[in-house]
Amino acid sequence: MRLFLLPLILLTFCCGGTEPAAEPGPTPVDEVKYDETGVLFKSYKGLVMAGYQGWFTAEGDGADRGWHHYQKSGRFEPGFASVDFWPDVTEYAKTYNTAFKYANGEVAKVYSPYDEESVDLHFKWMKEHDIDGVYMQRFVGEVKSEKGKNHFNKVLANALKASKKYGRALSIMYDLSGSSSADMDFLAKDWEELQQQFALFDNIKNPTYLRHNGRPLLAIWGVGFNDGRNYTVADIQKLMEKVKGPTKKASVLLGVPYYWRTLEKDTENTPLLHQLIKSADIIMPWAVGRYNAGSYTSVAGPTLPGDIAWCKTNNIDYAPLVFPGFSWGNLKNDKSLYNQIPRAKGDFLWQQIAGAKGSGAQSLYVAMFDEVDEGTAIFKTKKEGETPLNAEGKFVGIEADLPADHYLWLTGQGAKWFHGAAGYSAQKPVR
Amino acid sequence: MKKITTFFSVLLLIIVAAACSIDNYPAPDAQLYGTFLDAETNEPVEQDIIRGSVIEYIEQGYASQTKQTMIVKNDGTYRNNLIFANTYSIAPVRGNFVPLSPQEVQVAGETQLDFKVQPYIRVKDAKIEKVGSKIVATFKLQQTMINNVRKIGLYAHPQPSVGEPMRVALVEQEINATTDPNKTYTLELDAAANANVLKTGSQYFFRVGALIDAPESKFNYAKAVRLGL
Repeated sequence: MRLFLLPLILLTFCCGGTEPAAEPGPTPVDEVKYDETGVLFKSYKGLVMAGYQGWFTAEGDGADRGWHHYQKSGRFEPGFASVDFWPDVTEYAKTYNTAFKYANGEVAKVYSPYDEESVDLHFKWMKEHDIDGVYMQRFVGEVKSEKGKNHFNKVLANALKASKKYGRALSIMYDLSGSSSADMDFLAKDWEELQQQFALFDNIKNPTYLRHNGRPLLAIWGVGFNDGRNYTVADIQKLMEKVKGPTKKASVLLGVPYYWRTLEKDTENTPLLHQLIKSADIIMPWAVGRYNAGSYTSVAGPTLPGDIAWCKTNNIDYAPLVFPGFSWGNLKNDKSLYNQIPRAKGDFLWQQIAGAKGSGAQSLYVAMFDEVDEGTAIFKTKKEGETPLNAEGKFVGIEADLPADHYLWLTGQGAKWFHGAAGYSAQKPVR
Repeated sequence: MKKITTFFSVLLLIIVAAACSIDNYPAPDAQLYGTFLDAETNEPVEQDIIRGSVIEYIEQGYASQTKQTMIVKNDGTYRNNLIFANTYSIAPVRGNFVPLSPQEVQVAGETQLDFKVQPYIRVKDAKIEKVGSKIVATFKLQQTMINNVRKIGLYAHPQPSVGEPMRVALVEQEINATTDPNKTYTLELDAAANANVLKTGSQYFFRVGALIDAPESKFNYAKAVRLGL
């Protein structure tokens, strides 16, 4: 029987021929093709989406994280708070009493996004005002702990449910603040887990998960900043390759510093950053604190068209950031930082919306939906003169003569403009 | 003594003659040329010869990294017929368009390099006509950035390279605001009042332009028009 094999073996040797055998190249891999049937948001283009922190918890909400992100030094009582704005919880089904009181002696309450009803309400507001959706923030440093992961997964579950109910777009945004090189593997693993656990890429189960360039979109924030981070641009490049994989499983949005193009000021001076950006699908430069109403035109005026032209040349999409104002007096224990960048009843927000539109931007990232720590929240917060007392400090309110949903409404007006509605200009719309 | 002088003279001549071999390098034999084109309309972007947009280029392979410059003609074209074949880092700077990053370019023989740019302002639907003793210009402005338009102007000169830096007569208007793309601007230059420089019976070139309020920006123009007075 074995003798039969001999001619075969000999024949095989003869096959060498005169030409050396070509080196086998890597087998080409087909890119993954996703079913987009029923998918509501096939591109970030034309959308106005906000960042959603969802990082608060309250005593007794079941998350077992105390007054997470409300508290300071483990206490949440007059004189101890990390937030500048106070959420207006009038419409919430579930609220929590705090140690803070209003001038009339009434107990001040907060909400927790751990509760499904609260997140549901937020998405209802988005729908009411035509805001397209949110990027769910996921802090690598927080989800590394069991409690943190449990909390963020619960908030995500709440948000996925509500986004489907109200037809709002949703995407995951990892925030790398406080991460190290070693955490990149954790992130990749966590991202895989989320896809499995929540069926993120399933067009039937999650028709509102945001897609871009034919693939589900993952956002990674904190790339190329020169503020002494413990990970490098090269780490992110490796992470990107892992996330996309040979089949290009996902599209990627990178959250980069404001001066990413010229590699100066807030940006690490490395040409590797441009290489990395060219391999992404979208970039969103961080603009919070980079200008105020007075300096906006001189800073963003030349930056926006320059950025947009660069992205066009390199075939990536661009989403400028707009924010209503900024305040972090309580977070920094510094009264001079209350209302550091004033809102001016929305003039500042509209200035940026019109500036982005006038420069040719097609999408917007609004910082943020619910960020009361740094006072960039657009959701309903208490008005000036109606905030709880805070010992020697205070809480900052929105302008007293505005309706509670003013900033949601104004953001929604911007969204309508970006959706193509006529009648908008640099003049702030009148309600 | 005389012999010594002759000897030294001859020696000196030999040294001087030998020194000439240092200059025996080949002459620059490559040409670099191209046009500034509006990335959106593909039309040439009008420029100024004097104090206009500049092309900076650095020849690679030298430690000194010396910046050399080329100027651009009014019609948005440029040409350098005496450039060494080599790799250069080239960037148009201080112009009337959104800045571009430097690019590496291999220059050899006839090398065409067009720049696709986004002009700060497009001067559209421009008309320049003689109405009585006045030159009347009408035009619209389309800004591509949100900064203010600083001013607009109508300029006259006997040469076709007329512009804000090259004029014998002008009329300008401060704007210092963002502009409405639908608004028609009108500028009138009184030829009779400028009879000392705008002579009846002569031909002159007229051009309208607008200047954006951005760092180091230059005027954007419509094409120059020739009129006889």
